[in-house]
Order: sequence, then structure tokens, then C-alpha cells
Amino acid sequence: MIDRKRAWAVVRKDWIEVSRNKQVVAPLVVIPLLFAAVIPAAVILGGNSGILASTITGLQSFLDNLPSRVVPSGYTAEQTVVYAVIVYFMAPFFLIIPVMIATITASSSFVGEKERRTLEGLLYTPLSNRELVLAKVLGSLIPSVLLTWAAFVVYTLIVNVLGSPVMGGVFFPTWTWAVIVVVLVPSVGFLATCLIVAVSGRSTTMQGAQGSALLLVFPIIALVVSQAAGLMLFDVTIALIAAVVLVAIDIAAFRFIVARFDRERIITRL
Amino acid sequence: MKLDQSRPRDTTVAGAPDVAYAHDRTVSASGLSKRFGSREVVADLSFSVARGHAFGLLGPNGSGKTTTVRLLTGLLTPDSGTTRLFGELVSPANADALRRRIGVQTDTSLYETLSARENLRTWGALYGMSRKALSRRIDEVLNVLGLSDRADSLVGELSKGMRQKLAVGRAVIHEPELLFLDEPTAGLDPEASSDLIDYLKQMIRSLDTTVIICTHQLHGLESLCDDIGIIRNGQLLTSGTVDDLLRQKWPKHRYSLTVGGDLQRAQLVVASVTGQDPVVDSDGRLMFSISDERLVPSAVAALVRDDIPVLEVISKRPTIEQFYFATLDEGSNV
Repeated sequence: MIDRKRAWAVVRKDWIEVSRNKQVVAPLVVIPLLFAAVIPAAVILGGNSGILASTITGLQSFLDNLPSRVVPSGYTAEQTVVYAVIVYFMAPFFLIIPVMIATITASSSFVGEKERRTLEGLLYTPLSNRELVLAKVLGSLIPSVLLTWAAFVVYTLIVNVLGSPVMGGVFFPTWTWAVIVVVLVPSVGFLATCLIVAVSGRSTTMQGAQGSALLLVFPIIALVVSQAAGLMLFDVTIALIAAVVLVAIDIAAFRFIVARFDRERIITRL
Repeated sequence: MKLDQSRPRDTTVAGAPDVAYAHDRTVSASGLSKRFGSREVVADLSFSVARGHAFGLLGPNGSGKTTTVRLLTGLLTPDSGTTRLFGELVSPANADALRRRIGVQTDTSLYETLSARENLRTWGALYGMSRKALSRRIDEVLNVLGLSDRADSLVGELSKGMRQKLAVGRAVIHEPELLFLDEPTAGLDPEASSDLIDYLKQMIRSLDTTVIICTHQLHGLESLCDDIGIIRNGQLLTSGTVDDLLRQKWPKHRYSLTVGGDLQRAQLVVASVTGQDPVVDSDGRLMFSISDERLVPSAVAALVRDDIPVLEVISKRPTIEQFYFATLDEGSNV
């Protein structure tokens, strides 16, 4: 049985701490801005100039291998580039945002508590293992999802406003993006946070925990590479399959972490 | 501020707790042992503390005090032995629920980027306090600890002493039935230390709180602790009520007597009454030890009859500090 009030007290405390830590806040602002504003603006304004394709690694390969069926018929070469990049190439990047944010906030809130010697105090309170793990996961997951969603809104505005002259009207978002943003972003963020919490029992520094958790980025980078190589396009079907798999992994990971949460090991390694 | 002397006084006992009166005990530890690798940190520790009593667990650094607290609160699982809190056997299944009734102040840090008030609010919420009750209690605790004017200062901006007081405030925010304090007066100036001890005494008296205080700072403990235990290398060397332990260690009562007349004549008078030859110390006071305290008024009366003015009579009660060092010395010689 989870006492929501107790868990929420930890979540709120973590948010206050994060919001007052400039070293944590800075990347939380920069990362979403980079993916939501800088890159799409460059893509649309750069258009079919060739400079863009040579600047962004993998983009040329992606365009070369792009199946013609995935782009609406009747698009010009410039429209095809913009559509393909905004709708397909950028999709996996939006999964990196919650992973990076959750990694930063979770490592700060959990391993950071060990570093700052505040965790033992929490362990003396009535918080159950389940409540503590859930609070730490939600404390990192909620900001990572909200920031990614905010980034998505900014991304949508920018690509439609800047893209309208090229595309001839509103062309974004698509159904694939709806699945990515609504289901995949929270579930991949949840998994990243769980991983941080899991390695926190063994990690004594934030850097160590972040390093371990960033392993999660590799499968997503593989997704980017496979898109770029034209091996697999991130369409609705793939997004839905990934969502189902991730949610199942999330549930299993949470249960595993709660079951393996060992106060004694944490306390004796502080 | 004094403890209520009319309260029934149980004794703290070394050895396995007696089942017959175990229900009166807030804490009962029986044969607790804990090893970390090859190092035995706590060895066969047994003691109990009655409800509303203050128990001082005294020992040098590294003696096993903190591990004992961790074992008693269910944070660590003992290799052998058991702990009962409020009559319930502590186990992983009920440790969380039992901790609702406990407050713990250790040397762990407060949240530095949160204000004093935010730290207390977080802790109160963790113990399920309502917003209204918590708000009232925060003001009360900050006021008692003299931190009202720094309520909204970030903890990182507070002095070491203020943080120490706030750490105690955090532990008592929910008015726990059982309070563990680990070096609560460390870093406090004498006045703040005295105020804190007064506050704890008041809390014990008004709420019947049981307090276990782990420390090697012994000043002022006489007025707070009913019972003490001395621990070294994980072993409890002795435990019991302060009065009993001191009486067992020093059966005779020491007195200092200041007289206005002839010292040699006064020595003879006192010796004739008490049967003890008083010693004159460097300040010209007569020092003597007797088993029967009733002889002191007789000695004073004899001096007055002999026209020797008696200026001062002081009972030189041994202190916990003296007992502590004497016990550790004995332990070293074993």
C-alpha cells in the first residue's frame, strides 16, 4: 500500500532542490531547446541547400535511403527533405530528451542524496521501499516528461510557422509523433529513472550513476542510426510495438528495483 | 526544569529483558550482534528502556552507538538477537510502521538548499501530519529552538549550531513516542546545549517520550538521563539507573565542609561523629566520605556546639563523566 502523501512530500522536496541547483537547471533548459528549436529551425531554413545534409551526421545517408512511400506524393525535393527530417529523422531524438533529463535529475536526487549524506535521514522515516523508489522515479520522471512535452509544443510551433512557406501549410504533428510523445516519452523516461535508482545502490557518485544510466541511450542511438541507414523507419507500427515493449519493461523494472532495494547495503555504503 | 519525580521509576537492566514487564518497555534489545565482514561492530547487546525514560548510550567514537541505533530502528538486520519496540518484535514487515512512532536525529545532513521551514515541512509530511497541524508545529519547534527569525533562511546559510538544533527539531516535529538522538549537543554552545536539554526534559515530562541519547559529550546528562549504558568495541560494559550505578561504584558519599574556626579542632569533631578522618584540601575545606548520610547533620550540629562556624556543606556526588571514565578504565584493565 502506497501512502501518496509521503511519496509526494519527497517528490516536492526533490523539485525544490532541483529548481535551486543551477548546474542541474542549465542542461534541463538547453537540451530541450536544442532539439525543439535549434535543429528544426536549421533544417527548415537550410532546406535543400546541401550544407545541412553535410553538417548533420547521418542526414545525407538518411535522405539517400528514404523510401518514397513515406513522404506524401507531390512534394518537391525541398519539401521532401524538410518533411522527412522533421517527421522521421527527428523522432528518435525526442526520446533522448527524457532520458537525458531523467538521468540528470534522478542522479542528482538519489545518488546526490548519498553524496550529500541526506539519504540516511530519509531511511529512518516511515517511507517504505516502494514509496521511496516511486517518489524518486516520479520526482525525475514528471519534469522530464513535462519538459519533453513543452519541447514538443515548441517544436510543433516552430516547424509549422517556419515550415509553412516551404510546405504550403500545417504539416505537423503526425500519428507517429502522437504515440511517441504520449506513450514512448513517459515510458522511456520511466526506464531511465529506474535504471538510475537501480545503480544508485552501488554508485557513490552522480557521475558514476549517470554513466551507467546513459547506457540506455545506446539503443535509442541505434534507432537513429537504423533510421539514417534506412534500415527501419520510425512509423506508427514501430512506435506502438516499442510502446508495448517499453511499458512491460517499465513494470518489470519497477518491481525488480523495489524487490532488490536493500536499505542495509545503501546504509553501509554511505 | 525538573523531571517529575512522582513518576513510577522502572530500572533499566542489562541482560535479556524480563518478559513479565516487557510490555512497559518502549525498547528491549536482546542479544543483538552485528558483524561487517570480520569486524564485530555490536556484540551480544542487551538492554531495555522504560516508557518516558531517558537512556544515555555512552561510548567513545567507533564504539558501536550508531550501529546500535540502526539495529534498534530496523535499518540494519542483526546477525543474531532481537529488538522489541513498543512491545512488537521488529522485522522488515513492520519496521516502516514502527518508524512512524519514532524520531531520529543523527549526524546526517539536512537539505541545504531548502529553508529551515521547508526542511521541517518535508519531514512533517513524511510522518503524515496534516497541513494545519504541521504549520502550527513548525512555528512551535522553531520558536522553542530559537530559530524563528531564521525560519526562511536556507540551511546552507545557517551556523553549525543552528543546523544542529534544526536537526533535533526535525526529529521531534511529529512528537514521536521514541526519540533517538546521536550527539545532539555537538557543535552547540553551552547555553544552547543547556536549552536543548531543558527542552528534552520538558518533552519527556509532558509527552512521556522515551529518549535514547547516544553521546560522548557527558556534560549535563545527570539532569536528563534516568539510565545509562556504556558501550565500547560494540560491547555494553554496564547499564542501569544512574543512581544505582553511581552507588554501586562509590558506596560512600563524599562531602566538603567549610568551617570558620580552628581546622584541626574541626577535623577532630567531624572524626568523632563520622568515624572518618577528614582530609583538608588546598582550599582549606574538610573532605570526608561516609556510608551513612544521616551522620552529616550530626557532624554539623557537633561543630556548632563547639562554637565552630559552619560556612558551607556540599555533597560531592560523583558525576556520570567520572563514572564513564572509571568504567572505561576498568574495561581497559580487564
